[in-house]
Order: sequence, then C-alpha cells, then structure tokens
Amino acid sequence: MFLDIDRFERNHIAIHDDSNTVVTYGELSDFVQVIAKYNLKRSIVFTLCGNEAGALAGYVAFESCKLVPLLMSADIDEKLLDDLDKTYEPQYYWVKETESGSFKGKKIYSCFGYCLIRTVYDFYEINDKLSLLMMTSGSTGSPKLVRYKYGNLENNALNVAKVFGWTPKENCIMDLPMQYTMGLNVINSHLCVGATVLLIKSNLMSAAFWDFIRENHGTNFTGVPYSYEIMLKLRFTRMKLPDLYTLAEGGGKLTDDVFKTLADYAAQNGKRFCATFGTTETSARMAFLDPEEAENRIGSIGKAIPGGRLYLVDDEGVELEDDEARGELCYDGPNVTMGYGICKADLLKDDEWNGTYHTGDIARRDKDGFYYIVGRKSRFLKLYGLRISLDQAERVIKSEYNCECACSGNDKEMYIYVTDGEIAKELPGFLSKKFNIIASTFRTRVVGQILKNSTGKIMYKKMDESWENDGQQA
Amino acid sequence: MSNKEKYNDVFKRVFLVDDSQLGDGFEFGKIKEWDSVAHMKLISELEDEFDIMFDTDDILHYGSYANGIKILSKMGIEM
Repeated sequence: MFLDIDRFERNHIAIHDDSNTVVTYGELSDFVQVIAKYNLKRSIVFTLCGNEAGALAGYVAFESCKLVPLLMSADIDEKLLDDLDKTYEPQYYWVKETESGSFKGKKIYSCFGYCLIRTVYDFYEINDKLSLLMMTSGSTGSPKLVRYKYGNLENNALNVAKVFGWTPKENCIMDLPMQYTMGLNVINSHLCVGATVLLIKSNLMSAAFWDFIRENHGTNFTGVPYSYEIMLKLRFTRMKLPDLYTLAEGGGKLTDDVFKTLADYAAQNGKRFCATFGTTETSARMAFLDPEEAENRIGSIGKAIPGGRLYLVDDEGVELEDDEARGELCYDGPNVTMGYGICKADLLKDDEWNGTYHTGDIARRDKDGFYYIVGRKSRFLKLYGLRISLDQAERVIKSEYNCECACSGNDKEMYIYVTDGEIAKELPGFLSKKFNIIASTFRTRVVGQILKNSTGKIMYKKMDESWENDGQQA
Repeated sequence: MSNKEKYNDVFKRVFLVDDSQLGDGFEFGKIKEWDSVAHMKLISELEDEFDIMFDTDDILHYGSYANGIKILSKMGIEM
C-alpha cells in the first residue's frame, strides 16, 4: 500500500478536512482495499482536486493500485481541461460527486463525496515506472507535465519526514493545494509517519481558517512566501497559537526582512522556523535549513535533505569544487523525476534524468556549505509560489491576440508591454484566467514599440528602465 | 475625490468591476474572485489609500463591501 499506511493505528486520524470529513488510517486502508478489488488496468486518472478528504483518499488509492493520477485543480480552466483530455485520453476521472454530471462516462464507484468515472477512451501502454503526473505551474496551451517514477514520492516523503522529525503526533496545517508539488509533499511526509493532515479549503484570510487550526491543534504550518505576507499582515506573531511549533517555508524566496522576522519570532517564542527549497521536477523538497541556523543565515535554503546531494556547476556544466562558490544549483537524489511530457507518446518514455536535476537557479554556497538562491538562469517569475515562464506568457498572448508583446517583472507582478491599448485592457483578465492568478498581478504597459537589439532579441532591461525613467506613460 | 469614490476605486482596481456591481450583494463567498490573494490586496490597498491599519479581527471578518464601510466608519472614515 502507498506509504505503507496500513501499518498505522487504525483509529488514528489520517485526514481531517474543513468540510467536516474525518478519515482514520483504518478507513483509508479499507478504502484502498475496495478500489484494489476492482483490479483496474494500468491507466491515467484525471484527478480533480480540492482540499478535501475525498480527493486525497482517491490519490492514495490510485498510487496504491498502480494507476497514474494527473493531479489538477477542480477549478481548472475548461478549455485547458478539454485540451488535456484530448491529449492524454484518460481512462478515468476522479471528481466530486456533485460535479460528476459534467463528465461523460460510466460511474463505477463513489466514496467520501467523490466518484470514479470510466471514460470512453481505450487503454494504452505507458511506461512501467510512471507513477504520477503533475502540471508545471498554472500553465496553458499545451501544458508541460512532469513524469514521476515509483519511489519519487515515497523517498521524498520519508527523507523530508526525517529531516523535520515528524511523528504520529503532528497535525499538519495544509492549506496549500494538494495538486501543488509542495502541498503534496507536506501531505506525503505526514502520511508516511502516521500523522494527521488537516486539509483546509478556507483561506488564510478567513476566520474559519484560524478557528479550524486552533480547534484541531495544528502543530506545523507550511507556507509559500505569499502565505507569510498574509500572516504578517494579520499580525499573527501576536496571536496565541500554543500548539503551533513549526513554521516551514518553500515555493519561492522570502524577502530578507520577512525571513528575519520569522526566524526571530520563532526563536523568541519557543518555536522553530524551517526554510526549505524544492521544485515539481524533484517531487518537491531538495533542501532544508536547520532552524538553529535561521537567525544567522538569513535567506539561506540550507543544505540537501537526507538521501540527496546539492552542488553547483559553471556555465560549461563542470562542478565547482571550492567551498565558497557561485553557479547553477544542481541536485542528485531519489526524488528526481523522469522528465517532462507534452503528449500521450511521452508517457511511454523512460527515465531521462536518471536522478540528476539542473534547477535553472543560480545559487551561492558559503564557506560552511549553506546554499542561497541569488538569481535565475532562465526567464521565469515565481508568482504566488507558481513558477510562471515569461516566454510562455508571451506565446500565450501572441497566439490569442496575434500581436507583439514583451513580458518582464518581479516575483510580485508581471509587466506586459504591448503597443495596442485595446489589447492591453483585455490582458489582465485574459492572463488571470489562463494562469489562475488574480488579474491585478498583470500590469500592462502600452508603448510605442517593443525594443529589440540588432539580432532581433527583445531588450527587456532597456524597456523596464525606459518605462521607469519616463514615468508611467499612459 | 470623496471617501466613497476612493473606496469604490480600490474595489474596482482589485476585482476589475465597475460601480454598478458594487453594493450590498458584493460579499466574500459570493464573488468568485474574492479569494485570499484578492483579500490581501484589498486590505493593503485600503490601508494605503486611507492611511489606516486594520485589526486582525477586522481583516478576518471584513466580509463584504457594505460591512467594510462600517469598519472604516468605526475608524473615523465616513462615507
């Protein structure tokens, strides 16, 4: 059974969601057994996730029965879902019972408010190692999937549980979406030790969230930088949260100020602050900063988690041996996935990465071996914890509006340069829908022309500078 | 610009709506776009616009366009 969940105390709670469903380890194991009895052929299951026990239990069952889920948000853009459906021809859907009317096919089984639907698609061969498919960022058009192999999730769960020291006594506060790589890792790293997952749908800015975690004694919280911005806005450092002992962070870089505030708050209040680092391509976590070090190493992502190795390479891909160094951050470990997939045929592909991943992040290593992310090799932003490719954003805009554009920005906002004011008006709403991010994140800048150098490359820096120098032209 | 106009402008910026959509029915839970990200943005923009600082409870129980007017009035901003 996935993560050997059947070895835990049957009456202990595995999942408790804020829609009032409670599932014990015994009930979860029984549910997996029931699905197993159907002897379903190896297939792709589009799993439409909300943070609810039913969605999570389904995923646990599919992993146990060697079906391959593709996790996606239940709020996925309809057109995108349609594209994915046509591209991958999934044999099954696992969806909320109340939404099942929108899906064609035969309902096979229902439990915890979710149901399994057999589609009309035939079975096809997929690679024996393939265990899970995840989407990269909020993406669009032809989204790139990450292909996981058996052992990725399990290894990362155990190694992360080990480095945090999780025990069955933990009640983790999970408000990150379960279809988001780090959210999934938080879940797995608790299920693999028999702890309780408090699976939360209500948002951090609602009273319901705080009531739920107090009533259910949440002991640890994992947030992306944006979660902590919200929590600081709520002045949570003044709240009484006696059960909350661990604050973990990942999914992007905190500002040094916020990092320091959290490290100091933890130190002064008998709690611990753990910075981590991960990507979808590595089944989430690669690095962990010992909380004892947090106050003295502001901004660090720490060192490799157990079972993994972090290192730096130069532009030629040669490993940098000096203690102190700067280069592209690379990782070797059992949680490195197999590669990407963009079409059905790719699901037959074997392992292309063989345990090594180049992150595309530029990092610095200090003399004691701690790593710090300092920049990026490729053009992408991390908006609300999601990795958004600027080149992809440009492609999406060009294909919809057939116009020239240039995208730049920072980890708070994307700037979109266009020459047509009418298109500019539509862009925030359009991109919001495509990337599933609030429209005001997208700032349009109408300019006379998209600046290019002699080889035809867009001069992003120059465009940003001239916009800022000339004031905000209308 | 009156306080009411400033207040409406913040909502219009955050939710990309126009005046006609703002009113009693504009509530958290009813408006799909009103998630935590939008709420954070709303609170930050209101704090900047009116040079105020909300209490935790006011942020958590903001609830609606109409209730927000009450909260602001409690803080001495009349509309």
